[in-house]
Amino acid sequence: MQELLNTLTLGSIYLLFALGMALAWSTIGILNFAHGAIFVFSAFSAHFISAYVALPMPAIILISVVVGATLSALTQWLAFEPILKRSKNHRSAELRILIGGIGVAAIPIALVDWATASAPFGFANSTYSTQVFEIAGLRVTNTSMIVIIVGLGIAVGLTLWLRRSRQGLGLRAIGVDSETASLMGVNRTAMAIGTMAIAGALAGLAGSLQVFQLQAMGVDTGDQLLIKAFAMIVLGGLGSMAGVILGAFVLAGAESLIFAMNMGTWVDAVSFGLIFLVLLLRPQGIFGRQEVRRT
Amino acid sequence: MIDWYAANSVVIQATMATLLLALSIQLPLRMGVFSFAGVGCFGIGGYTAAIAFTQFDMGTWPSVALGTVLAGVLCYLLGLIVHKLTGLYLGMATIAFTLIVAVVATNGGSMTGGASGIFGALGGITNLHVLILLAVVVVGLAVSEYGRFGRKIDTVREDPELAVALGINVARYRKMTFLASGLIGGLAGAVTTLLRSTITPAEINFHLVVVALTVIIIGGSSSWLGALIGAVVITWLPTVLSFVADWEPIIYGFVVALAAIFLPGGVLGLVKDLMRRRRSGSGTAPPASDAAVTSNDGPTAPEPSRTPVPSQGGAL
Repeated sequence: MQELLNTLTLGSIYLLFALGMALAWSTIGILNFAHGAIFVFSAFSAHFISAYVALPMPAIILISVVVGATLSALTQWLAFEPILKRSKNHRSAELRILIGGIGVAAIPIALVDWATASAPFGFANSTYSTQVFEIAGLRVTNTSMIVIIVGLGIAVGLTLWLRRSRQGLGLRAIGVDSETASLMGVNRTAMAIGTMAIAGALAGLAGSLQVFQLQAMGVDTGDQLLIKAFAMIVLGGLGSMAGVILGAFVLAGAESLIFAMNMGTWVDAVSFGLIFLVLLLRPQGIFGRQEVRRT
Repeated sequence: MIDWYAANSVVIQATMATLLLALSIQLPLRMGVFSFAGVGCFGIGGYTAAIAFTQFDMGTWPSVALGTVLAGVLCYLLGLIVHKLTGLYLGMATIAFTLIVAVVATNGGSMTGGASGIFGALGGITNLHVLILLAVVVVGLAVSEYGRFGRKIDTVREDPELAVALGINVARYRKMTFLASGLIGGLAGAVTTLLRSTITPAEINFHLVVVALTVIIIGGSSSWLGALIGAVVITWLPTVLSFVADWEPIIYGFVVALAAIFLPGGVLGLVKDLMRRRRSGSGTAPPASDAAVTSNDGPTAPEPSRTPVPSQGGAL
């Protein structure tokens, strides 16, 4: 049971991270390789400010969310939009967005690496303190309760918003056919920047919660998480939010299992192997639909 | 000249090693195959050569050959499995392959030396040997860029459906590019490891993928010459400008992002564009047939596109 609870906490952080990536990828078609860097940098910004002022938890999370949203929207506006405008077809745009994202990601990561001298950072100066409760024989910290509630709440909220609201409809329309959608009065550019801001905010949220949960974060966390998030999205099937939720908890469960079996050094192979297996056996993912292609 | 060489032989060595690694990524890209498996093969080649050299007492060249061939074979097998994937999916699957190589190396016990890697694998390789190997690889790649074969490869990249209609076996080309990329990557890994005498799992990470990609993006992805330009820029810039050394990752980040936005053809693409524009007079659009062959996805080519995207004339 205790392991199950830990899996749920880990999965919720994975979920928050992957949701933003999946949202942007499945609607406006942008797989943002800077998502992991935004995750690290927004948590670091909160760490940087909280080193001077003793801040409560909501303030730290707010800083992180705002920084994440700003950074992500800027990336979309300054890098991905110009690339989309200059590319002649979808395939070359995809490649250039991937490379542009890798380039953009290198900048905040280098800054954090330089500022922390590659040492892990945390929120040591915050007024928040972890408390442990005993509920039915389980050790539950207040942090993990917050993480699980926020993670599941936002996942359900985002799914409903995408399905029910007018903006959600517009966003999904862009995902199906962006040209037709823009003829129907959907402002593609504004939508894209807004979506990336939401994705960045989720990355920032995931970043600060991860630091609260694990007490510290290393600079290279972002890259690993990026590939894990890809595994989750692919497993669930691109375009399905329920798929991301499933993928996050399956991956978290598999990793917890590997740790429980005392094979901790193999833990990264789980997500990499998962990407492989899913792409080979069911490329459209569990909830995805088959795409038609000729060559 | 000799003094200059003696002072800079380490940097020259690094340039050649970087170039080999970059070429192993560039070849698939030229074929429109978005594969980063070459970096994983760098690890396979390096580890195989180091193990053969230190634990089985094989000579330098048999070790290098073994590493190269094993990397090529494994990469070909990977290609058989994943060649039907496209775009981002293929990119991520091959990144996953690369990172699995690192995980396996970490867990290889006494064979691979675990997280601390292998030490003391100093083979008898000189810069001249590397130069000869590099020349062989470059000549092979240069041949594949010209004439009938070069045009076939361009067609496979630009329009796979058209290539199939022309009777080109696209699937075979895609699989063969995995083999070639694995061989080059394995050679790069084996040679680099026996030159530097060490290899660790931490080297075969996402960062190495980024370095290889940076080289190609700066130089240009359409020709080996682009990779050469990129490799020279990447390895020599920090030695020439000392402030670059302090801010290296940030500057490279900016350069890659800017190149992805404004210079999809890299430095080589820019030079070719300028030359073409001078030849064709005052800024008129280049002939489409010429542009379709040379530029990968440069904004200059007003291609007869099937998608209703507005073409952008000759403006950069």
